[in-house]
Amino acid sequence: MDKKGSSIVLGFLVILFSLIMAAVFNLTGVASAQPKLKVGILHIGSIADAGYNQAHAEGVQAMKKNLPNVELIEIENIPEGADAERVMENMIRQGAKLIIPASFGYLDPALRVAKKYPDIKFEHPGGYKLASNLGTYWASTPEAFYLMGIAAGKTTKTNKLGYVVALPISFFLANVNAFHLGAQSVNPKVETRVVFTGTFLDPGKEATAANALLDQGIDVLGVIVDSPITVVQAAEKRAAFSVGYHYIGVQKFAPKGWISGIAFTWGELYTRFAKQVMEGTWKSEALLGNLASDYLTIAPFGPAVPADAIKLVNVKKQEFISGKLNVFQGPIKDNKGVERVKAGEAFPIAAIGKMDWLVEGVIGQAK
Amino acid sequence: MVGSSLGGFLSGSILAGTPLLYATLGEVISERAGMINLGLEGVMLMGAVVGFSTTVNTGNAVLGVFAAALAGALFNMVFGFLVIGRRANQLASGLALMFCGVGLSALLGAPYIGSQIKGLNEIRIPFLSDIPAIGTILFHYDILVYLVVPMAILVWWALFHTRWGLSLRAVGENPAAAFAAGKNPYLLQYQALFIAGLLGGIAGADLSLAVARTWAEWMTAGRGFVAVALVIFSKWHPLRAIAGALLFGGAIALQLQMQARGLPVSPFLLDMLPYLLSLGVLAAWGGVRRHAAPASLGRVFQGTE
Amino acid sequence: MGLTDQRATGAFYFRREWWVRPIRFIGLFGLAFLVFAMVLLAFGKSPVKAYVDIFSSTLGSTYGFSEILVKMIPLTLTAVAVAVPSRIWLINVGGEGQLYIGALFATWGALTFNTLPAWLLLPFISVLGFLGGGLWASISGILRAKGWVSETISTLLLNYVAILLVNFFVFGPWKDPESANYPQTAEFVNAATLPAVGGTRVHLGFVFAIAALILFYFFLSRTRWGLEMRAIGGNPEAARRNGIPISGYIILLMFIGGGLAGLAGMSEVSAIQGRLRPSLSPGYGFIGFLISWMAGGNPLGIVAAAFLLAIVTASGDILQMTHGLPGSAVNILNALILFVVLSRQGRKRGVKW
Repeated sequence: MDKKGSSIVLGFLVILFSLIMAAVFNLTGVASAQPKLKVGILHIGSIADAGYNQAHAEGVQAMKKNLPNVELIEIENIPEGADAERVMENMIRQGAKLIIPASFGYLDPALRVAKKYPDIKFEHPGGYKLASNLGTYWASTPEAFYLMGIAAGKTTKTNKLGYVVALPISFFLANVNAFHLGAQSVNPKVETRVVFTGTFLDPGKEATAANALLDQGIDVLGVIVDSPITVVQAAEKRAAFSVGYHYIGVQKFAPKGWISGIAFTWGELYTRFAKQVMEGTWKSEALLGNLASDYLTIAPFGPAVPADAIKLVNVKKQEFISGKLNVFQGPIKDNKGVERVKAGEAFPIAAIGKMDWLVEGVIGQAK
Repeated sequence: MVGSSLGGFLSGSILAGTPLLYATLGEVISERAGMINLGLEGVMLMGAVVGFSTTVNTGNAVLGVFAAALAGALFNMVFGFLVIGRRANQLASGLALMFCGVGLSALLGAPYIGSQIKGLNEIRIPFLSDIPAIGTILFHYDILVYLVVPMAILVWWALFHTRWGLSLRAVGENPAAAFAAGKNPYLLQYQALFIAGLLGGIAGADLSLAVARTWAEWMTAGRGFVAVALVIFSKWHPLRAIAGALLFGGAIALQLQMQARGLPVSPFLLDMLPYLLSLGVLAAWGGVRRHAAPASLGRVFQGTE
Repeated sequence: MGLTDQRATGAFYFRREWWVRPIRFIGLFGLAFLVFAMVLLAFGKSPVKAYVDIFSSTLGSTYGFSEILVKMIPLTLTAVAVAVPSRIWLINVGGEGQLYIGALFATWGALTFNTLPAWLLLPFISVLGFLGGGLWASISGILRAKGWVSETISTLLLNYVAILLVNFFVFGPWKDPESANYPQTAEFVNAATLPAVGGTRVHLGFVFAIAALILFYFFLSRTRWGLEMRAIGGNPEAARRNGIPISGYIILLMFIGGGLAGLAGMSEVSAIQGRLRPSLSPGYGFIGFLISWMAGGNPLGIVAAAFLLAIVTASGDILQMTHGLPGSAVNILNALILFVVLSRQGRKRGVKW
């Protein structure tokens, strides 16, 4: 290296040194006016995924709009595991008082951080463990899936339905079971096939899984992965029908084949959480919403759904809300022939976390 | 039912195997020239993101494929500069390239997540597509699938039946001898990397424009590394790579197909097979004849220093 | 390995002072940071503020610094895992797989013997972790010693097999019945959890890391075995003719390297994660490989490089939180650092891979 080169190197040394000095003396800028509440949210994927993450993101945006003195710290694409803990800590250090770790696998890291910071509040979607400062929330979706099943059962022409699902988590199994039971209630000839991709997001695999199902003659595809785009598009490409999940705007990907979907509209719920934390009335609980809640919404129906199906869905929806109808009403056998729910009994929604089987008529591997 | 099963499985393998095959062909070329590129994953990602964003902006998926190929080639030139120009360690350079590709594609692709495209359309061949059973399996794909086997044949022909290919392989076996014979190893290696980059970019574009029709961060999910393994499995031969890609793609498709059929199989044990087979094949081959790989793979030509 | 400097390249050249090489590296890093600053500018972000944030969030607080140490533990171990075999020019790109198998063995121990007290269980699963990674790497070692398969290729392939194997257990026989069918094992009991110090997440794994570095340096420079290893590294044929058992060293060093990576896996699963999940490692094995190569297999260099890469990797969150960049963008900075180091390395090094 010659003289010119060495002076460049020296120049960089100076720059680097000054940056380090700046860091050491912490010249990070002026503090802005303090908001009443800082909320931190962690996403496992991208907030533009038209799915799971976008639903959460739009929820916090709605919360921000409703409560102008709430400030938001939002961070995407955090893998489950060691990094999640660090990110939550960083948010708390930035002043967040309410943390929403928006992915199933963030539960353990969140519990650890919650233990360390007893006066920070946590709300975890879909969790199954509570702490004094960590509450969980979710909407019980089986009933909604049952309604989807009704619509699907009446729209299908081949009587073959399919589901592309990320992982055989109990909640997802319950959803598929409910879907099948709903479809069966209007169309006893239906069968439902389930394929698990093994991960929350892998568009390549989801496309392959979707096509594998479509090859079997399935003409209604449902999806439970983080982003429904791939599967819904795959169905639309092959003139099949589709059922969406997570996000309310998925219909645009399947203008012809769209049946309906289940959407989470978290805005009002997040607003309530924030208000509770600000007013000091927050308490930890395992919140489980249902069709009557404002955060579980049935998406608009597509053009292919027959009118009588839509009518029936609305009737059944009211029956669920009034408690007249129960999704997992016995007798129910699983797809290996074992009786899971006796006649006259009903599988309690609250015990969904233990469901590790698929209903008779569903073809797939629960374990 | 059996017919449709087999057909479904085959078409699944073909769809899943196509991006693998493009990437593998590219890697075969660069490894035949003596360079192992672990950064193939990054090249594919750059192809996927550039292809997708171009298609969103222009509405033309074919243009997207061209842009993706070019992006892949240019990105691979970074690898070329490091490995040929600066004689850096190939494995480290490849891994660094991979990280760069992951980060850069995430940065470039962020505004395009959730965008919709029409993607590459299915092309029906007038007579052939209508043959029952076979027609459905073999002739209902997009242009990239149709082109991949001809591409493999082209690569094979170029490597084994042209003077350029001969010189390239000579560089991969013994660059000093090639140099003494009047070839320019550096130029040949850059050419190899450029072409490999084109193919890698096309592989990525196939994923984002034809298979999944969307963009997500790190959507190649390790397929670039699978391609590197595939090269080994195919013993550095483009035609064998076709079978290999079908097998590896098949492994991905097979476990999903078997689930769709309700057959109990552990997807993980199944997925292991291609890698174990590669190892087994190499070990068996290595015991008999040592040099399955190009002799100077990974080494760096020192010139006349 | 002394510095072989460029001949006839101009008036000013570095002499062989001990401080020269680190300064040269810092200069190179400066170049990488400058290029990344240009990337930031191109996307409309302020580089100065970004860098200040990066350093203040990582170095400017005890917590931030402790998180750097937490990341350095597995990185150092996987780096030494590559450095050890590299002494006789073996290339171990299988750190990732060895890490996973180490974690697998350790998990088996933790789940099966969960009634043992900590002073028994922890050493036991540590040994298991080392054993797991070591055995996995020895497969490649044996294949290489017999002259059948290059260890580069076999370690690379075995990475995937290892991850799939862990997936098999986590999705299947070891799945936690209490976790709503989610693919993860049961939680480790306290006795199987490596304790952390001082309210931070810095855990006893750092003892492993430091021990690995010290032992590596010591064995290499001060023992007869180190001498023999350097002889093999210098001239394998002469070494063989002198009776040094090369095959034995190949297998042994791969075993040790793999074992260290296995320890990294064990410490990650025991101290940080608390249970075995498919997403155990964000590529520590590969980053370790890069660290080892950047540092030329030199123990101090490994610490420095691990430190730097840990800072950059941990700063992804801050960049996202305060600058609206995708967290993955820091990979570009990591890559740039590697590029500049690699682009100088080639000229220095000479013939070997």
